Amino acid sequence: MMNTKKRWIVIFLLPTVALFLLIYLVPLLIVFVTSFFDYRLTASELSFVGLSNYISLFGDPDFHKAFSNTIIWILIQCTLHVGMGTLLALILYKKVRGWKFVRTVYMIPNIISNAAMGMIFLNIFNPSYGVLNSILKSVGLGHLAKNWLMDSATAFPAVTLVWFLFAGYTTTLVLSSALSVDESLIEAAKIDGASPVQTDLFVMLPLLRKMIGTTMVMAATYMLQMFDLIYITTGGGPGKATTNLPLLLYGAYKGENNYGYANTIGVVIVLMGIAVMAIINKVMKVNDDEY
Amino acid sequence: MNTNTINPRDRLLAALKYLFVIACVIAALFPLLWVFMSSFKSNSEILSSGVSLPKSFNFSGYIDALRISPILKYFANSVLIAGVVTFVNVLLLSMAGYVFARCQFFGKKFLYFLLSLSMVIPMTALLHPVYIVVNSLQLYDTKLGLILVYTALNMPMSLLIMRSTFQGIPRALEEAAYVDGAGFVRTFFQIMLPCAKGGLASSAVLAFLGSWNEFTFALVLTSGESARTLPLSLSYFTSQFSFNYTALFAAVTIAVIPSILVFAIFQEQVISSLTAGAVKE
Repeated sequence: MMNTKKRWIVIFLLPTVALFLLIYLVPLLIVFVTSFFDYRLTASELSFVGLSNYISLFGDPDFHKAFSNTIIWILIQCTLHVGMGTLLALILYKKVRGWKFVRTVYMIPNIISNAAMGMIFLNIFNPSYGVLNSILKSVGLGHLAKNWLMDSATAFPAVTLVWFLFAGYTTTLVLSSALSVDESLIEAAKIDGASPVQTDLFVMLPLLRKMIGTTMVMAATYMLQMFDLIYITTGGGPGKATTNLPLLLYGAYKGENNYGYANTIGVVIVLMGIAVMAIINKVMKVNDDEY
Repeated sequence: MNTNTINPRDRLLAALKYLFVIACVIAALFPLLWVFMSSFKSNSEILSSGVSLPKSFNFSGYIDALRISPILKYFANSVLIAGVVTFVNVLLLSMAGYVFARCQFFGKKFLYFLLSLSMVIPMTALLHPVYIVVNSLQLYDTKLGLILVYTALNMPMSLLIMRSTFQGIPRALEEAAYVDGAGFVRTFFQIMLPCAKGGLASSAVLAFLGSWNEFTFALVLTSGESARTLPLSLSYFTSQFSFNYTALFAAVTIAVIPSILVFAIFQEQVISSLTAGAVKE
């Protein structure tokens, strides 16, 4: 009896463990190991080169650009984007009329495919028939019209806009956390004479800290992995104006077939993921038991 | 306390609040509505004015989209892949989630810790090695290859949801089943799974949306029409047929509608499961 149960435990776990090994652990090991090799088109040319991939990566101006863009995007997403989503949640949790509708509608851009979002914005910013230039022309500001995604002055903010405005995940998560806050705490603040703004700022916001921290981690890892929206809209250009680490990795992998180098970038992304999560958890005290 | 007097500052604040909410709604809806609207306009209408309403509801864009790109084939691929992934993912992860929620065995904590690493690995860092694995299994450019990868990509969230779902089911239920002589497998499939419907639905919706929308791995792991999915078909319209804007907008609409439908039907599930996942993280 006991042995058949043990056998079934193994059988129940086996597929999941196999998937984990195959798609997560083995690739993770390959990334780390091959980052120390000169590994190009064919595996037979594999030769150990120590830290040389890392040295050339850290000296590569494209890497500096991709790294700083990635960091800037992570910072924008963790502060302004999460801030925007949180602000909306703080308005909606008082159950203003239509709050459920707003929550649903605001989620839609987050649940449709990034490929579609990318295509949509590619067309919104299109120089000849895009919405942005059409509106500018119709209000007499035609001289401001430009090729937003391909102009080096506007490409970065234009690409950022493709994901920045859509904080549906943050709003949904922070909102559900705010709705589960004990109402007596809010009542107590009101009785003590706190204005609604003060209540939100000094009572509600501290109670939401952990959830906001979690959404920051989500936002940061999202930006750290961002590939499809940039690939579809600007491809990292013009020049390297809108490139980031995943795009740089893709270029080294598919463009140059320099796998050792691509995987060195992969190692940097993995390590940044750990660092970003540790920093946010520390700053936001996500793992503290008390509020 | 001056709750009854509305001073101008409060009024301004309230106005700003509504303005902000409306702006968020417009930001979320406008791009989609614009695409939807444009999919019924003719090419020349689109070029002459980007923001006008269509003169008539013209479906030629949809017909063109089907004609000039293999979008139907890609749509079928997406349905098949997302469908199989959803089923397999939910089945396998509910089995694993059940074991982690209910059974004791040597190394359980360590194994769960190891598996939850999948939550923190940025997967785009692993593009090339995942290709190596898929290719060495001879699954490059096959639907099965994408199914394998997508089932794994949706593993962390499903494991989290299914484990906490099973933890929330009273033990008395399965004890009664054991007393009645049901074995481990029968107890799981006949007693536990039906009790875990909420968690199953949540995992299923997220797995479906995740694999329906996935772009990056599909780009790297496929090359031909036989395995490529709907998100990739959209790039067709920027490269080869960049002058048929109506067809492009129609194609985007076709790609987006299933996601919106699934979300509309299961939105309470999606919202509650996202929340559950974030709290447990």
